[in-house]
Amino acid sequence: MPNRFMISRRHLMGGATALAAGAALPAHAQNRRIVVGTWGGDYSRLLAKNIEAPLLAPKGWDVIKDEANDPPRRAKMLAEKALRRGSSDIQGLSAANMYEVNQQGLVEQLDYDKIPNAKNLIPAMKYPYGVGHIYSGKVILFNPKLIKTPPTSFAEALDPAMGNKLGIIDIQYQYTLVAAGMASGGSPSNIEPGKERLLACKKAGARIYPSNEAFAQAMKTEEIAVGIMWKARAVQWQNAGINVETVAAKEGVPMYISGFAVPKNAPNKEGAYTYLDAMLEPSAQEAFAVDMGYNPTVTNANVPPQVHKRIGFTPDEEKRLVDLDYGYLATNDVAFQEWWNKSFKA
Amino acid sequence: MSETVAIRGAAVAAPRRRGEGLTATTLIGPATVFVAVSLFAPLAILLRYSLNDFDKATKTMIAAVTPANYIRFFTDAYYTSALATTVEVALLSTIVCLVLGFPLAYVVARTQSRFKNLLIMAVVLPLFVGNAVRAAGWMVIFGNKGFVNAGLMGLGVIEKPLEIMFTEKAVIIGIIAVNLPFMVLSLQSVIEGVDRAVEEAAFSLGAPPLTMFRRVLLPLALPGVLAGTILTFILAMNAYATPYLLGGPLFKMMAPLVYNTFTQQSNWPFGGAIAFILMAVTLTLTVAANLLIQRRTKR
Repeated sequence: MPNRFMISRRHLMGGATALAAGAALPAHAQNRRIVVGTWGGDYSRLLAKNIEAPLLAPKGWDVIKDEANDPPRRAKMLAEKALRRGSSDIQGLSAANMYEVNQQGLVEQLDYDKIPNAKNLIPAMKYPYGVGHIYSGKVILFNPKLIKTPPTSFAEALDPAMGNKLGIIDIQYQYTLVAAGMASGGSPSNIEPGKERLLACKKAGARIYPSNEAFAQAMKTEEIAVGIMWKARAVQWQNAGINVETVAAKEGVPMYISGFAVPKNAPNKEGAYTYLDAMLEPSAQEAFAVDMGYNPTVTNANVPPQVHKRIGFTPDEEKRLVDLDYGYLATNDVAFQEWWNKSFKA
Repeated sequence: MSETVAIRGAAVAAPRRRGEGLTATTLIGPATVFVAVSLFAPLAILLRYSLNDFDKATKTMIAAVTPANYIRFFTDAYYTSALATTVEVALLSTIVCLVLGFPLAYVVARTQSRFKNLLIMAVVLPLFVGNAVRAAGWMVIFGNKGFVNAGLMGLGVIEKPLEIMFTEKAVIIGIIAVNLPFMVLSLQSVIEGVDRAVEEAAFSLGAPPLTMFRRVLLPLALPGVLAGTILTFILAMNAYATPYLLGGPLFKMMAPLVYNTFTQQSNWPFGGAIAFILMAVTLTLTVAANLLIQRRTKR
């Protein structure tokens, strides 16, 4: 009997030693490892192709992806708030979400001295708590085969007269509310006037799709013929053979900015800053414009003119670019979602 | 294997030798502790969260002890209708599973064919594919230009495509497809244990097949019916991927609602409350069905 205990204790000690050694390993490796929270799919693939492989891997950085949509990633950040060491070093989020996680006290206030390439950032892409990586604008999409007179404004696109030819994307509720507000005399800081318009569209048969992809599919099968979406997505869908054209609305072009923020408890902040700097390299920014149809957030990227013509905006349209009122959206988001779920989708 | 032997040894040995009770505890302990910690600790935390307040402007929790989230659920028609839809879908799909599953289970249980194993494999085969992937398949079939609509329109049966995708019909069909194998397997294992001789005895005494089924087979197979019904009902009540993908943005069931409240709205207190309400309703209905059937069996 005593022998049995001796053996088990020895085994136990051995196991414990192995465990301790295992736990110590990541601590050594960590300096060169960056954990990036990001959406999966194309964006993640292009981050690897345009940033990680050419700019970080040669310098010995090892990038690990935590791929998920942003709501679960934000939920995870919130859950890890009390931890000294979080599980990610940098998180890809939209400007609206970056504002929100900053309000929740989850992200680092950035030291721009550690991001040399940030000196070329377009001022609107530079936040105290995050850096814009790519941007596009919310434009009108229509199928020229089915819509003979192209709409020129949000008012003409989000019009009950479109009946069941109008498609609306569920997860795009914020931008849809903003566009409808702008169409009805409101602004990005006052979406209220647009609610009645949306209800009328819904009553007239507007179709609601759960995701951007489902919307694209419906455009492709001609189930719908008009809607609003990022210009960059329209370019991707054109590349995929979907018959769709875009118009920058008269009322303005709400900007969509996607960027990165660093959690306060990121284990490897040095790595996070390195990543932020690398993503602003002109070569990476140009590659994203070509591969994904989003505009560079830095002024020193040279996008080929024919690409710019498809993805960018004319000087006249650029004047109509409007940034969202992130404070207004964040403060009222719960109320907006309730209205969207209970009144609009009811 | 050795663990089982050790536990049995400890249980039957008389007189008990010193240390054997300890051994048994050591063997059972880790699994028990693991289950207790990994199941009850999160539930306890969630229960505590569900009593908290929520600040809408910053989307953060505020420590409190209030039943407000539970009251809100039951006083808002939006949420109670989601619960009603969930119960309705779960009941309907369970009934259909039982009706479709019983004859199939009977054939599988009674067949003398050497292909019986293949038959069981065929029943289980759908489970080899994840729910989300299967839902994607249904999407291809149900879409406006999907297999069903294209087929019917091609044959000239209908002029305008049928709206199947993003409706309750689609969700119920999807859930039945997921749950049917569970029902069939539960029934099949019990029917196999019912001696064929009792059926033959009923027939030889002049019972027509339906009477034999009603008076002999069904009462004897009741434990299987109960197990299958409970299993499929619980699965349907908690279905997530199928209602999310096939129900579309306008369709409301409880599990997607819990997820949405947690992630999209960051409202953990209310999400916790909805989760507990779903769990409580599922548990209550299951226990009630169990008692009802047990009472019938005794009678």
